[in-house]
Amino acid sequence: MTLHLSIMLWLPLAFGVLGLFVRSHYAGWVAIVGAAATLACAVLCVVDFDASATGLQFVTNEPWIRELGISYKLGIDGLNLFLVALTGILWFSCTLWAKFDERTHPRERSQLFYFHLALAETAVLGALLAQDLALFVVFFDLMLVPFFFLTGIWGGAKRVQATMKLVIYTLVGSLLMLTAAIATGVIAAAGPPDISFAFSDLAQRPLSTSSQEWIFLFFAAAFLVKMPAFPLHGWMPDGYRAMPLPVLAVFSGVLSKVAAYGFLRVCLPLFPAASAHFQTLLLLIALASILYGSAMAFTTTEARLVLGYSSVAQLGFITLGVFALDPQGAQGAILQAFNHGLVVAPAFFVVALLAARSSGSEDIRDMGGIAMRAPVLAVVFLIIAFATLAMPGSSNFVGEFYILLGVFTQKIAIAIIASSGVVMAAVYGLRLYITTMHNRTGPRVESRELSFRDGLVVVPLVVLVLAIALYPQFALKRSARTVDAITLPVALKTKALAGWTSYAPLKETP
Amino acid sequence: MDIGWFLAVSALIFVIGVSGVLTRRSPLVILLCLELMLNAANLALIAFSRMHGNHDGQIFAIIVMVVAACEVTVGLGVIVAMHRRRLPIDVDELQELQG
Amino acid sequence: MNAVKLFAWLTLLFPLAGCIAVGLVGRKLPGRGAGYLGTGALLLSFLSAIGTLVKLQGQDEHHRQIVAVAWDYAHTTGLDAQLALLVDPLSVFMILVVSGVSTLIHVYSISYLDSDRGYVRFFAYLNFFVFSMLTLILAANFVLLIVGWAFVGAASYMLISFWYRRGTATRAGIKAFVINVLGDVGLVLGTFFIFRHTHTLDFLSTFAHAKEAFKPGDADLTAGCILLLVGAFAKSAQIPLHTWLPDAMEGPTPVSALIHAATMVTAGVYLIARMHPLFELAPSAADVGAVIGCVTLLVAGTIAIAVTDLKRVIAYSTMSQIGYMIMGVSSGAYAAGLFHLMTHAFFKALLFMAAGSVIAAMAGQQNLDKMGGFRKSMPFTFGCMVIGGLALAGIPPFSGFFSKDEILLMIGDRGGWHWGLYVAGYVGALLTGVYTFRMIFRAFLGEPVPEALELEAGHLHHAEVHTNPADGEVEDTDVGFPGADHHIAEREPSMKLAMGTLALLAVVGGFLQIPKVTHVLDSFLAPTFADSKFYERDPTGGLIAFGLVLGAAVGLAGIGIAYLIWVKNPQIAASAQRRLAPLHTLFVNKWYFDEIIDLLVVRPAQWFGAWAQQTFERVVVNGLLVGGTTGVVRAGSSAVRAAQTGFLRYYTLLIVVGTVVVTFYFLMNS
Repeated sequence: MTLHLSIMLWLPLAFGVLGLFVRSHYAGWVAIVGAAATLACAVLCVVDFDASATGLQFVTNEPWIRELGISYKLGIDGLNLFLVALTGILWFSCTLWAKFDERTHPRERSQLFYFHLALAETAVLGALLAQDLALFVVFFDLMLVPFFFLTGIWGGAKRVQATMKLVIYTLVGSLLMLTAAIATGVIAAAGPPDISFAFSDLAQRPLSTSSQEWIFLFFAAAFLVKMPAFPLHGWMPDGYRAMPLPVLAVFSGVLSKVAAYGFLRVCLPLFPAASAHFQTLLLLIALASILYGSAMAFTTTEARLVLGYSSVAQLGFITLGVFALDPQGAQGAILQAFNHGLVVAPAFFVVALLAARSSGSEDIRDMGGIAMRAPVLAVVFLIIAFATLAMPGSSNFVGEFYILLGVFTQKIAIAIIASSGVVMAAVYGLRLYITTMHNRTGPRVESRELSFRDGLVVVPLVVLVLAIALYPQFALKRSARTVDAITLPVALKTKALAGWTSYAPLKETP
Repeated sequence: MDIGWFLAVSALIFVIGVSGVLTRRSPLVILLCLELMLNAANLALIAFSRMHGNHDGQIFAIIVMVVAACEVTVGLGVIVAMHRRRLPIDVDELQELQG
Repeated sequence: MNAVKLFAWLTLLFPLAGCIAVGLVGRKLPGRGAGYLGTGALLLSFLSAIGTLVKLQGQDEHHRQIVAVAWDYAHTTGLDAQLALLVDPLSVFMILVVSGVSTLIHVYSISYLDSDRGYVRFFAYLNFFVFSMLTLILAANFVLLIVGWAFVGAASYMLISFWYRRGTATRAGIKAFVINVLGDVGLVLGTFFIFRHTHTLDFLSTFAHAKEAFKPGDADLTAGCILLLVGAFAKSAQIPLHTWLPDAMEGPTPVSALIHAATMVTAGVYLIARMHPLFELAPSAADVGAVIGCVTLLVAGTIAIAVTDLKRVIAYSTMSQIGYMIMGVSSGAYAAGLFHLMTHAFFKALLFMAAGSVIAAMAGQQNLDKMGGFRKSMPFTFGCMVIGGLALAGIPPFSGFFSKDEILLMIGDRGGWHWGLYVAGYVGALLTGVYTFRMIFRAFLGEPVPEALELEAGHLHHAEVHTNPADGEVEDTDVGFPGADHHIAEREPSMKLAMGTLALLAVVGGFLQIPKVTHVLDSFLAPTFADSKFYERDPTGGLIAFGLVLGAAVGLAGIGIAYLIWVKNPQIAASAQRRLAPLHTLFVNKWYFDEIIDLLVVRPAQWFGAWAQQTFERVVVNGLLVGGTTGVVRAGSSAVRAAQTGFLRYYTLLIVVGTVVVTFYFLMNS
């Protein structure tokens, strides 16, 4: 059992390295096989996962740097199970997409491209699986490296400028996080021989409230930049414009979730007092992200940025759920992280298809009217659009329902304002759908149906979206126990801190 | 003789070497001055060796000479290469490492 | 699984199966195959609904609330949502009305949409709509209710934007969808308020716990119920969330008949009836519903008198009639409100079908000003229109007469300030008579227009160049117009069948509930409303007689006025328009609701978006934050870079100075 996770973690990188030594034509296939094998491992984890057990499963625990108390500890619980699955799914789809994409957009040095893509998957999986703070930080920063190259080498116009912006901006956050991580380990330990970075040890050694607070802020800065959340999303528009679409799909689908996951994995259990103390601040940031992201999404005309800003809004919802600091909010945040990843990747794929049909332009004003000749594409996009705007009946709705309910019981005013984000989502979601699919056909638009290869990439994702919509309990019941365990200590702290935004505390029912 | 004298001479030679490195512009002269500095150190090492009555200092001195020989070889090689490529033999002109 | 549950699931799943089947194989079927397939699925659904009814009646009176659970939907951390149906007399009544009327409208559409390029798509959408509506009705908990609620909104959007090459249609669609989402949010928040105290999402448990969890007039419950009302208002087009309904007439006429008259828009009425245990504990919320219903019925009535678009007249009349229903169920007249819901479904669907026939005869033209004299050329349609009109105006013995009077009777019986609603209801009834027969007289009487003459000669008018009736834009012939070769009721047996059945129902439907004579619905619905304090009331015979006479008189007076103005003395209309110019402008412009909402909501949102896009993003986000961070990093690195001069001797000096400083430091400290 313990071998499982290490295999899954290093499998993509192994295939990526292997891909460096084959002819460029085959590199893509090697990467696809690697991604498929990783996906198989992830599916195996989901199948084997014991929903009724508490605590970590499939644990690997080896000392790595004994002197510094850093261990190579991996594990899966209800928090990361579905994010790992999401990573496997999206990387497989996007690798396949990148390979098919080569036919129309020949790619130079494709071995290197797939190597970086694979490295990115290993880094993401590492950050998700790590159960040691130092290991988490290492993988979290490693995630940036392949995307630096993927954007810088294979990106679109203005890629160098965008890459520098992205890297510098997120590195600053990462540096803060590194400082905070070291400080956590050192301050928590009684003395040098006692030092340990394992989450389970750190959770046993609570820091003083004052150190919790600054450390929490450092971590929060790193995560909020990565998400991105308002007002730290400045790197997003340029970065999104420059990234190649298959890369952008995984970046937007998975990397932002790792940041949200970081809040749940690191901040809530290790800094409960600070989480409770800064709850309102974080909720307000989340609220601002929702409103601002939505407002931007329904005014911008670039298809990618509509999705980009909608991601800002959706990540706002997820943050809202995390900092509801109660089980329902966290439960919703986890489900929503999975859902959003699953929906946004095919959405980017559809944008690529639309751009291919409107002479390469990604401006929605140049698109339109292709539903007539491409009914399957229209149906696929309609399902994705409805899921994006969290239409009831989709699993995204269940996630938002949990999130809003969680916030509602804690801070009623914020929940009510946040729910206006749902209405705005309807506006930008439908606007994107209508301007691309309906109305008159644009002058340079060529209506074509989904090809078989396109279908191979996007249809499984859509089927998955439908399946999880019909039975969200599948995901919910697997994460419920962990969620309860993680939010309990924080929830106790917030009881004492009811402020102007909250209800008067309920009388306990006997 | 008092060890102080030896050290004084050593320091003197070292300072001469340092001031040569700092003021001269020809790489060749700078290399020579470097040799001076190394030999000043050697002198000090041997003086200490004699004072303590063991051979540690002398062994150090021999190692320093070996290093000095290597350094001169590489340094002269660089200078010859520069000459061949018709680069100016002047350290102030050679500032491509500027950030 | 027992038979009731099985039949309920079948009722729900047949339309879904129909939708999928039509979507997958519809294109491969010859001719009208897709239409028959979709209609067949609906017929099976209707038969299953009858099966549910029969089996439910077979149960003991106290066990007529059955929950059929499929599986857990979201059942963790305190929530208890299951995929479950609630089968009780109320939901069975509703599924019968919905599946029955839907089947007839499908039958009508088989011919009506025959010439349209989107024939297959239409039936797939229509089946999906019925599935959604049945989900809404059969839901056993709040989550599933909201799912159904949103699904019907989506189906409505898809059908309004059915001719999606029309800019007017896509705009109307997005408007309807967004307002409906607003309603969904209202429902969600309302659910939260209630869930906070009851800790369950299941309807029956909520109702069971409501009495202990809430004191009468509890603030949270009132807030929750008002938010539920927001959902109901958005769906049922009540003021101020009604502006989408008239625009929704962009959809094909059968859609207007099914969704925007007979079924979906009455969901709000169903919701209030379903939630009656909560509303009875929150009387002020119920009063809000009653007052808004009353205001809507009056405002919509006045607009219906002024607008000239045939379908929009019927749309405003729908708003007005739903106002009656909302007013009724909010005042405790549950059976009466639902009775009116049923009769209204019959006669309003009939009116829309007849209007569809007229519009087809006019080759897509909907303007009443251009119509006239169709009585001779379309006698069947005229007959149906008159029957529907009489039922709508509340003339005995047509169905609308009994149902409308029962609502007003029950409201009058409440006494107190409800008398105001009672009076307003009769004023509305007068307006109803006027606008209904204004429409009928103007379309069917008077001088025949060229299209009518052509039809009399046996030739159906076809427009040379098809234009969008709303803005005159030339149609895209791919999709976006009802087809070049359309059909009218006079010639198509399937349309005649559907309209004939509905006309019959519109005549006899009222006999289910004749005061003091029959009470079929009352006793059927009793198990659902057993706990209501308003249900078992018995108004005095005097009030009943007074109401019936007054209702008939007011309805006839309305028709008389219409006859006087638009048939006898057509110049009265023009002079009245002149003399009451400000009032007429107000009515024609629909009381300026669109403009007010635009000013208060749409423009500020757009302005904020533009400001964020152009100013804030550039200055603060990109300039200050990103620029600031990267600026600091750049400044730091250029400072470090400045130290790298490239001068060898400079480096040496640094080394020497550094060494000396370090040495001195240690010497000092030693």
